[in-house]
Amino acid sequence: MSKEDNLDKNWKKDFPILKQEATQVSRRDFAKFLTLVSGGLMVGSGLVAAKAYLLPKEEVAGEHFVCKLNEVPVGGTRGFVIEGSTVPYILIHLENGEYKAYEQKCTHLSCSVFYKPGTGIIHCPCHEGSFDAMTGDVIAGPPPRALPKLDVFFKDNDIYVKASEEKVFS
Amino acid sequence: MSNFRTSQNKANPNKLNNILSTLIFILILNVTIQIWLLYASLNNALDNNREILIPAFIASLILFLIGFSWLYYLPKGNYKK
Repeated sequence: MSKEDNLDKNWKKDFPILKQEATQVSRRDFAKFLTLVSGGLMVGSGLVAAKAYLLPKEEVAGEHFVCKLNEVPVGGTRGFVIEGSTVPYILIHLENGEYKAYEQKCTHLSCSVFYKPGTGIIHCPCHEGSFDAMTGDVIAGPPPRALPKLDVFFKDNDIYVKASEEKVFS
Repeated sequence: MSNFRTSQNKANPNKLNNILSTLIFILILNVTIQIWLLYASLNNALDNNREILIPAFIASLILFLIGFSWLYYLPKGNYKK
């Protein structure tokens, strides 16, 4: 008898379970597992609701300086972050002269979006998502929600942003 | 004393087969609805729409309770004393 055969025999003695028995799942067990999954999904829904009510997303507070007016050419963009936060934002100088500021994270899987000059489209290269640069709404692709936006306003020659007043939920 | 369980244990295996299949079918249906509810509430939470979250959670809870009490009807198998 070779060493391998001997090893094999001892191994089987230690784990006296046939492979077929180990891999076979009875329908009874499957039904119980489905109920477990169901409980998990219920807990997940509860956590989502609890998180939304107990730890709501913080709105951008106050007004924040971004840059000078002449620093962003027409069709150009400028990325910025607000002090005390790590969320990246993007300031866009549209071809019609308007300035818009959006979160730079795609609402699908948080890839960085960028503005395609001349098209009026904010594009996400990861899964070909497109947003309307005027409103932030989804035009095409997998993103489920519009890009969160900030209101842009001017003081003298400076560009400032503040929390968008368009949608207020409290 | 004779109850639901006694008669179920005496039932024809074909009948038990049907019961078990139906049970699993309903459970899968419940889980599917729950996945949809969770997906919808997650998207709405991220979009700051809070009014749907509590109803979605309650619906999910009810579906889970249905599935859980449903397990009572799980056949125990045709064992004999």
